[in-house]
Amino acid sequence: MSNSANTLPDRVPVLIAGGGPVGLTLSALLARQGVASHVIEADAAYCTGSRAICMSRRSQEILGWIGADAALVVKGLSWVGGRSYYRDTEVLHFQMPSEPTQRFAPMVNIQQYFVEQYAHEAALACGALSDVRWNHRVAAVRPDADTVMVDVVSETGTRQVCADWVVACDGGRSTVREQLGLQLQGMQYDGKYVIVDIRQKTRRAVERLAWFDPPSNPGSTILMHRQPEDVWRIDYQIRDDEDPAEAVKPENVLPRVQSHLAMIGENAPWEVLWISIYNAKCLTLASYRQGRVLLAGDAAHLVPIFGVRGLNSGLDDAGNLAWKLARVLEGRSDAGLLDSYSVERVHATHENMAYGAKSTEFMAPPDFAYALMREATLRLARNDASVRALINPRQSTPVSYAESPLNMAEGTAPWTSDLAAPGQPAPEATMPQGRHLTQSFGAGFVCLVFCSDDAPDLSPLADLSALGITMQPVPPSCAQAWQRYGLGTGVDAALVLVRPDGYVMGRWPGVDGVAMRKAIADSGVWP
Amino acid sequence: MAMNDQDLDQCYSALCEALSRQGEAGAPLLLSMLCLSLISRMDNAGQVLPLIAQAQAAAKDGQTDR
Repeated sequence: MSNSANTLPDRVPVLIAGGGPVGLTLSALLARQGVASHVIEADAAYCTGSRAICMSRRSQEILGWIGADAALVVKGLSWVGGRSYYRDTEVLHFQMPSEPTQRFAPMVNIQQYFVEQYAHEAALACGALSDVRWNHRVAAVRPDADTVMVDVVSETGTRQVCADWVVACDGGRSTVREQLGLQLQGMQYDGKYVIVDIRQKTRRAVERLAWFDPPSNPGSTILMHRQPEDVWRIDYQIRDDEDPAEAVKPENVLPRVQSHLAMIGENAPWEVLWISIYNAKCLTLASYRQGRVLLAGDAAHLVPIFGVRGLNSGLDDAGNLAWKLARVLEGRSDAGLLDSYSVERVHATHENMAYGAKSTEFMAPPDFAYALMREATLRLARNDASVRALINPRQSTPVSYAESPLNMAEGTAPWTSDLAAPGQPAPEATMPQGRHLTQSFGAGFVCLVFCSDDAPDLSPLADLSALGITMQPVPPSCAQAWQRYGLGTGVDAALVLVRPDGYVMGRWPGVDGVAMRKAIADSGVWP
Repeated sequence: MAMNDQDLDQCYSALCEALSRQGEAGAPLLLSMLCLSLISRMDNAGQVLPLIAQAQAAAKDGQTDR
């Protein structure tokens, strides 16, 4: 892909190392906030191989903030559930929460290079604010108190760029992380999975499919996901005594795939597109902020693929960071706001690792105990429904920031639901004219005004609007919103402050704004 | 009233960890003791005997593959 004809400037506000899905989405999010960034990508174009393929509802919302959701949904294959088999018997049919009026499906399958393309196009749509440099790589990073010096290498030589802020989105083998002398800490699992993409026509429903000990490959575990353009993702576990280098050779991969396709009756001609190998890791940095360098996505944390928390958590990193970095750069908040990025997202990583570890213990049992218990579960599950929940893959869901330093005390009020307590992802709800409440999120702060008046007088809250907070009335006819945000017999009017990344910051009964003004004054976000 | 999914999951993991610490040779003894504790807390044999039969049938089928 071609680069801007202009030379990379000597001084930039934000340098993003890595033009993968996280870096490109972050650049587009920053551009939407009016902040310029330069993305440095070592490769010449989007990734090869489909890589991360399951995009959660939360990720679809985040891509919606940059206008990349429509393309994603049109191209992708949405799904709501899956089936697991033990040998030749179905032992689980699960459904993720979904409803007919939902804005996005719980999950969409799509090749990662399409996500990169749509994020990049969204960034380009913001004009000159986003500058992506292909065939450029970060070679050295030297932070000091006020800036970060970065050596960027391209075919024209090495160039020194002075950045106010550097964001490392350069993946699991992050150069930035290495340059800072940081190391991921945690544990790895031994069990190895071969990942294969093949092209084959099918009319099978889009579902997550899992086989334990299938007749096609006795002793193995196999996962299958459909992707757009007639592609199957197939993951299968290899034996502990197999050589990984041998296991990925086509002569060893093709027979296993063929055997399984034959078993499930997929007999159309097929070809291999991509082969890789994987073992589960739970690794993270202790902090995602090092002065003026921030780390996001795989550069900051590696979580198991089971449960699809890798790219999805990386996009959540970008969504959390973009509005905070924009406020700091524009002088609207102190740099300390960026510490909350690290606190919240490190917490999210620990949650993701806990779920991911549980999924891994089932998908790749680490010792005899986990293998024995899994076999017991699968054998019982054929006839005993009470154990089937143990087979559920625990797919990615948004993490709550219940302990976030940004949460505002909500006082005591008889809320009828805690779904919208401070630190929770603000619940979705249907709105008039077929709209959805989450469509209001993702740009700036939003104050939801719940009151009995269909067209409330917002003039007493004008000082809050002046702080850049958009007032969004929610009349009682929006019954779903009233119920999910905890309004009811005890609270018949309320203000709910939602952050630009769609998390609840605070909620207060009544609409006079007195308690909210005090919370804002104490928050440090609006100094 | 069966326990919820989260509690079931928590107990499953705790048992895996206990077995793992106990080692493979000691696993049958640990599992037998746990089963007896659980059985003794049921109301009557009528609740337990079908579960023993179910487990025996499920364990026999195809034997173990490990």
